[in-house]
Amino acid sequence: MRRLLYEAQRSLASPVRNPRMATVIGRLLGAAFLVCFGTGLYSHFLQQPLPGMRLPTRPEFLYQFTEGTHIIAGIACFPLLLAKLYIVFPDLFAYPPVRSFVHLLERASTALFVGASLLQITIGLINTYHWYPWPFPFRQVHFALAWVLIGSLALHIGIKLPIIARFWRKRADYGPGTDHLTDAVPVERVAGSEAERLWGSSRPTGLTGRLIAYLDATPPADEKVSRRGFLATVGVAVATVVGLTAGQTFAPLDAVNVFGPRKKGVGQQGVPVNRTSKQANVTEAVIAGWTLTVVHGGLERSFTRAELERMPQTEVTLPIACVEGWSQMATWRGVRLRDLADLVGAGEETSFTLVSLEERGSFRQTQMGPEYVRDPLTLVALELNGETLDLEHGYPARMIAPGRPGVLQTKWLSRIEAITA
Amino acid sequence: MNQASTPSNALTAEQAAPRPGMRVARAILILLGVAGLAWGAWVLVDTVRIARLPGLALWVGAAIVVHDAVIAPLVLFAGVLLRRAGRRLAGTVVTVLQGTIVLGSIMTLIVVPEIVAQGLDPKNPTVLPLDYGTNLAVFWVVIAGVATAVSAALYARNSRADRRLSL
Repeated sequence: MRRLLYEAQRSLASPVRNPRMATVIGRLLGAAFLVCFGTGLYSHFLQQPLPGMRLPTRPEFLYQFTEGTHIIAGIACFPLLLAKLYIVFPDLFAYPPVRSFVHLLERASTALFVGASLLQITIGLINTYHWYPWPFPFRQVHFALAWVLIGSLALHIGIKLPIIARFWRKRADYGPGTDHLTDAVPVERVAGSEAERLWGSSRPTGLTGRLIAYLDATPPADEKVSRRGFLATVGVAVATVVGLTAGQTFAPLDAVNVFGPRKKGVGQQGVPVNRTSKQANVTEAVIAGWTLTVVHGGLERSFTRAELERMPQTEVTLPIACVEGWSQMATWRGVRLRDLADLVGAGEETSFTLVSLEERGSFRQTQMGPEYVRDPLTLVALELNGETLDLEHGYPARMIAPGRPGVLQTKWLSRIEAITA
Repeated sequence: MNQASTPSNALTAEQAAPRPGMRVARAILILLGVAGLAWGAWVLVDTVRIARLPGLALWVGAAIVVHDAVIAPLVLFAGVLLRRAGRRLAGTVVTVLQGTIVLGSIMTLIVVPEIVAQGLDPKNPTVLPLDYGTNLAVFWVVIAGVATAVSAALYARNSRADRRLSL
């Protein structure tokens, strides 16, 4: 067992597998995790604000930016996480496997960190493909795992801090006891001598022995070239996976968006759709005889589409920005929500409940704080890009507000009700 | 056994006599980390039905197994095979080839689930609207082309350098 673990470490030895490289890639990955966590938390609070929380409505593209960044950083984690795991992979075969109870906890926390990280970015990616092959709810698990990951990250940095501090800056010499981990001597020479000291010159026989002999006969990689090549590969991979997908939100990259799950301009009236009328079960029959009901206390008023069209119209240019990271600029025309709120006498500080015609769905009924209700850009939209709103975009009327995720831009809007304490 | 010569134990000397600032920082980070983990566990049991948790644990475990027992060994052997096959090639060229294969593989890893998802029940034509299979094939052709061009340039540069040396 002991021999096998040593041989595994020796076979895996590589000039890029050293603590300096682990620190260099680790801090990039850590930064990407923090960006994902921060933007994810922001998106979470937009959807489930804490009591009394007021959220920013400017700049209008704020959510488009934060959520686009969330997905871009998440995709960048694929090459970064794989690179980090590549660097530290020999540690899996450390001997003895467990030195003490604390060491057992440390290894268990590392295993959890690795497993949760891999799962988090994988389900995050596949969620953007609208595919849910796992046996658990995505939103809740993605949120809980975010806390697990950020906790694991702090724990991991805490455990490894002496190593991180020592290898933070590039130095010619990292101090005693680390020679073999740095640029000077290949790892395999030291690990090899260790194996030889333990077991003399006898080598394992049988299949394992032949495998090891085969690996030993492989020419070693040039150190400097390997390290530069590794860093270049990681850099190019991050740039590539981001560059070829980010066009779904970042317009300048639209031309090279060949792998993004969404494409700008693809959809009815040039805007992608997240939930179709069919999925929401909203048919022509359901919208027949539609009116928009606005309620405040005992006062209730209903408006037909024609009545809304006769009210003062406002045109705004706002992005529809999805939790899945895509976004699309569009021109919307309709009635200011605050005008409707004023008609039923709702005050400046009133929050509203927005209800859709759809029968089911997590976002059938949502709430909107006063910062959005009073915003001059917040509309009950009747037109999109110069045409009557398509059924897929929420005809007869939908909400559009600055800086909110698409799931809260209620389509097939049927009822707006003031929340009175 | 000489512990100091294994990488994981190389820093025992420093760990034994840490600077006070370091010790405080580590304690704070470890406490914060444990608190984050505990909060995550609480959020999980609070929002996800208990019956779903074994499935989640299985997926976390499977993620580790897929990486440690499938991806990592494949990478090791691909690297070994490439270095053996590339005995006669310059180190830089082998590295360029290695990088190209890694780049293509990571992109493939990201795009294959996309192609699978596209093949499933297409409820919404604005989701996954592109021809990802063709795009992936073109991507491989392009990076193979770039790798060939870079390798050729490296060879040209090396042979020019050789000629200068022999003068």
